[in-house]
Amino acid sequence: MLKLEEILVTRNWVGKPVRRKEDTRFVMGVATYVDDLDIDCHHVAFLRSPYAHARILKIDTSKAEALPGVIAVITGQEIARQTKPVVPRAFNKPAVQYVMAVNKVRYVGEPVVAVVAENQYLAADALDLIEVEYEALKPVVTIEDALNPKSPLIFEEAGSNVLLHDKMVHGNIEEIYKEADLVIKEHFKVHRYSSTPLEPWAIIVKYERANDSFVVWSNDQQHGRSIVNVCHTLGISTDKLRFIVPDSGGGFGVKLALWPYIVTLALLSKKANKPIKWIQTRTEHLLGGTHAPDADVEIDLALKKDGRILGLCIKDIQNDGSFVHTTGIYGLIKFATMSGCYNIKATSAELVSVVTNKGPTVQNRGVGKPTMIFVLERMVDLAAKKLGLDPAEMRFRNFIQPGQMPHTTPSGEVYESGDYPECLRKGLRHLGYDEFRKRQKDLRSKGRYIGVGISAGVEPGTSNLGYYYTSRGVPEYMGNAEGAIVGVDYDGNINVLLGSVDSGQGHATTTSQVVADMLAIHPDRVSMTNQLDSIISPFLGHSGVYSNKFNDVDLGAVIMATKKVRDKMLRIAAHMLGVDRSKLKLKDGTIYSSENGAKAVSFKEIASVAYKRILLLPEGEEPGLKEIAYYKTPFAKMPSRENFNIQITHSNSVHIAAVEVDVESGSIRLDRYIIVHDCGNQIHPEIVRGMAIGSTVHGIGASLYENFVYNEDGQLLASTFMDYLKPLSVGLPNFEVVHMESPCPYSLLGTKSAGEGGAITSLTALANAVEDALSPFGVKVTSLPLAPEKVVKAIRETKEI
Amino acid sequence: MIPNKFEYIRPNTLQEALSILSAYREDAKVLAGGQSLLSLMKLRLASPKYLIDLSGVPELNYIREESGRGNSARIAIGALTTYAQIKESAVLQAKSPLLVQTTHLIGDVQVRNRGTLGGSLAHADPAGDMPAAILALGAEIKAVGPKGARWIKAEDFFVTAFTTALSFDEIVAEVRVPVLKGYKTAYMKNAPRPSDFAIVGVAVCLQPDGGRTCQNITIGITGVTDKAYRAVGVEESLRGKQLDPKIIEQAASRVTDGVEVNGNIHASKEFRSYLASIWVKRAIQAAMSGA
Ligand SMILES: Cc1cc2nc3c(=O)[nH]c(=O)nc-3n(C[C@H](O)[C@H](O)[C@H](O)COP(=O)(O)OP(=O)(O)OC[C@H]3O[C@@H](n4cnc5c(N)ncnc54)[C@H](O)[C@@H]3O)c2cc1C
Repeated sequence: MLKLEEILVTRNWVGKPVRRKEDTRFVMGVATYVDDLDIDCHHVAFLRSPYAHARILKIDTSKAEALPGVIAVITGQEIARQTKPVVPRAFNKPAVQYVMAVNKVRYVGEPVVAVVAENQYLAADALDLIEVEYEALKPVVTIEDALNPKSPLIFEEAGSNVLLHDKMVHGNIEEIYKEADLVIKEHFKVHRYSSTPLEPWAIIVKYERANDSFVVWSNDQQHGRSIVNVCHTLGISTDKLRFIVPDSGGGFGVKLALWPYIVTLALLSKKANKPIKWIQTRTEHLLGGTHAPDADVEIDLALKKDGRILGLCIKDIQNDGSFVHTTGIYGLIKFATMSGCYNIKATSAELVSVVTNKGPTVQNRGVGKPTMIFVLERMVDLAAKKLGLDPAEMRFRNFIQPGQMPHTTPSGEVYESGDYPECLRKGLRHLGYDEFRKRQKDLRSKGRYIGVGISAGVEPGTSNLGYYYTSRGVPEYMGNAEGAIVGVDYDGNINVLLGSVDSGQGHATTTSQVVADMLAIHPDRVSMTNQLDSIISPFLGHSGVYSNKFNDVDLGAVIMATKKVRDKMLRIAAHMLGVDRSKLKLKDGTIYSSENGAKAVSFKEIASVAYKRILLLPEGEEPGLKEIAYYKTPFAKMPSRENFNIQITHSNSVHIAAVEVDVESGSIRLDRYIIVHDCGNQIHPEIVRGMAIGSTVHGIGASLYENFVYNEDGQLLASTFMDYLKPLSVGLPNFEVVHMESPCPYSLLGTKSAGEGGAITSLTALANAVEDALSPFGVKVTSLPLAPEKVVKAIRETKEI
Repeated sequence: MIPNKFEYIRPNTLQEALSILSAYREDAKVLAGGQSLLSLMKLRLASPKYLIDLSGVPELNYIREESGRGNSARIAIGALTTYAQIKESAVLQAKSPLLVQTTHLIGDVQVRNRGTLGGSLAHADPAGDMPAAILALGAEIKAVGPKGARWIKAEDFFVTAFTTALSFDEIVAEVRVPVLKGYKTAYMKNAPRPSDFAIVGVAVCLQPDGGRTCQNITIGITGVTDKAYRAVGVEESLRGKQLDPKIIEQAASRVTDGVEVNGNIHASKEFRSYLASIWVKRAIQAAMSGA
């Protein structure tokens, strides 16, 4: 692996909070999202199922087709005739699902008929004219419903509503349980929520009649894979699909699941011979724009009396709703954080994924790890209580020590670096832990209830994509990687093209910092085209913005491509100056001789030789100054059930929440919120800070407000932002963010992940704080969200939230 | 926003607006701040064929004191007056502050800048804040229609959810609230998040006798049932009584007497009733300790 000194020739930019490059464009409203593209389109609208579970008996679209301005209508049935079913990733059972409902609807909001019209208003009008006859079936809504053998089957051919059931044991779990002094057990329930980006799904598909192919514009998050999925489903070869990703207004995972709609739009654009546009509405997004699954988790910890955790067993049941493509992954990815920040010798995990008539699920910020850390960190508090230990002390007794890094968990995850005890010490000092406890006592005597909650979490990044296939066997994807093209133009300025497209992370800014320090120029001279075009950009099956991979493989690719360009410029400069390459240095956009500063050429002069006066190039040197590189993380293990790493980098954090509970009304006020965060070296500390806070707010929303409530008929009762309550800036505290930097030995710049962490660690900080505040009432928190009604009920009757 | 097709009309006088409304009858709707109507049109829950935008009718936007002796002094507020204007009104703040107090808890800045008093009342959202406040104030609403103007008492105005005593061809022109002397007022609400609609909202006008005895009290409640209502039971239990915590609490438990309480995902029926009693208590206490 390249050393940091070999990569960066100056240290002027990396690590500094430089002004973000992308903001001006966004703030001025001149960014180019799919809906801003100047393409003459027809519009599609979807008639969606009003039933959670029903047979489709008859569809009559004749009146809609007769409406002036309506161009084409397509039913799921017709789609099925022209496409292959959606391919599941994680399980082997047969479960046939197409990109639209065929014969049967499986969730409220599932697309049944698509209508293309001259504009979106007419398309929506036409939906009212379609007649569909349904035969309602008994809906399967909850996990209990799904597990009940008497319940109807959602996929008859699967023979069960359980699509994945696996058990994996790592370490000698039986011995460990014999060694234990006591075992504590608990059952947790986590509800459904989602990240709901500001810009929902957006797609334009244009059919090119000349060569029977398609051009897609979409804010897809994982286009590398989507190209494969769309082409496979349409049964076309990949040269028939050009995929373009323009600006994207937030992803958080849920834009990994939009590709089925690309399939539908492709068929429609061919039928209508016109570009077709679909901009998802908010309600469509909330109904079927994917959720994180709700989950039931049973967990037990094997403990020594002194507080040491020896081992843990979980039984994890995920309600994966109704999208077979991603069913099962929320269980498997838990191995990335299964033992949290602790020295745990053995784990046993029984993973169950059920399908129900709830909406589709897909990777949502943190993917399963928020649930894993929630149950684990709750258990640590419960264990502390049982053993009469302070929750902070309980954690100190179990933390992996800095001297034990790198640490390999029982299943093979490798935590590369970090100082977990110091992270907590810093947090406690920052809060003033002892004073808080005093104040808590004082206030209690006055009838006020404040509490503090600690949560320590591991926040992994860069997925080793083989993990999806752990239960199933044959991996289609493995490891992780990204591609980049770095070019120097006529004027000696640098442009970067990446295989992933920024959706809020600041790719252009951080890339320019790194390239600037690699080439000794000002970041203003580095630009980045925030667009992916599959016929121009470098990309792989792994390409996209997900799993915190940017700092690792995306920048890895940028670094490798920049290094190729730098090496070439050095070779050309050596030739132009007649100086040995080893004597050359870079400064302010020039290459000069370290022995004679007068001997210098600018990047522009070098570019002039590379692009125009090519006869002056050194012998054998190709013209041009543009290089492509792919970087794959060298630390991904081969998929295996015994020893595998789900993710490559592991940031960590301690969250400390101080809350006050109004015990009369059940409302929870956040008083203070401290995030001590270690993501290794930081390229841009302010972006990291923003990510830490933003992801934490996602977790706070999930803990307090957001909840996709379904009734027993499988109707979603939170289908607008009036009922699906996102957190607002009002009501949030000032976040106190403390950074630590334990460089990662496994990434080129010593960086780790920064984008998901808060969403993982925050849930328990709040839960633990509320339980602490309510300890005089003996209330235990075993579920989320912490809704006021549940809080009051727990205080007065049930003693359990 | 993908509404049904509609025609947009922007009259310049109230008279013109009324005649358009009479012509198109149930097919037309007037548009004030749009903070409720546009959301409904977006979801296609409302599909007016003609949208009569009142923003060109300046004669409906004012706050002025109307003289009168003693308790008959009134403040007249034009229907198109926005929440933001009410919030900043020195006259209201000095002479009848309850509406001002209420606006502090309505929506966010955008909603307060656009939303109007008349729109809020005419919309009659069962969880709207202003309906509770105007009930507590015993306000009167001036409706004008093809046959001229009539005054409707606040307590007669709200019929049920999203339904008022207005006829389809009438427009709310003005709301009159009393100048309050010797009263203390408060508006409080419980909502999931700061700018949300009320789970329960409570408006209190309290006339203490100088000491702790309650001479008179009126209480408007919103969010609890299909329309805003006066908590008559609570009022009765307090009139002439010492405002001791025990007495207030007992009285507060009568807040949902005789009403069918709503339940939804944010608060069940039982919890909402419970919260209503808590918030009545708190609002009375807030009024007592306030100006
Ligand atoms: C994000 C958000 C948050 C909100 N939060 C709150 C809150 O916390 N509390 C709260 O009380 N409300 C809240 N609202 C609703 C808001 O108060 C609305 O503005 C109000 O209910 C309607 O007033 P408007 O002027 O916007 O009316 P419009 O939306 O323009 O009209 C509403 C209805 O009233 C009719 N109408 C309007 N004016 C007249 C008139 N003069 N005569 C006859 N009919 C008329 C219209 O035809 C329509 O049917 C919120 C709204 C939003 C969008």
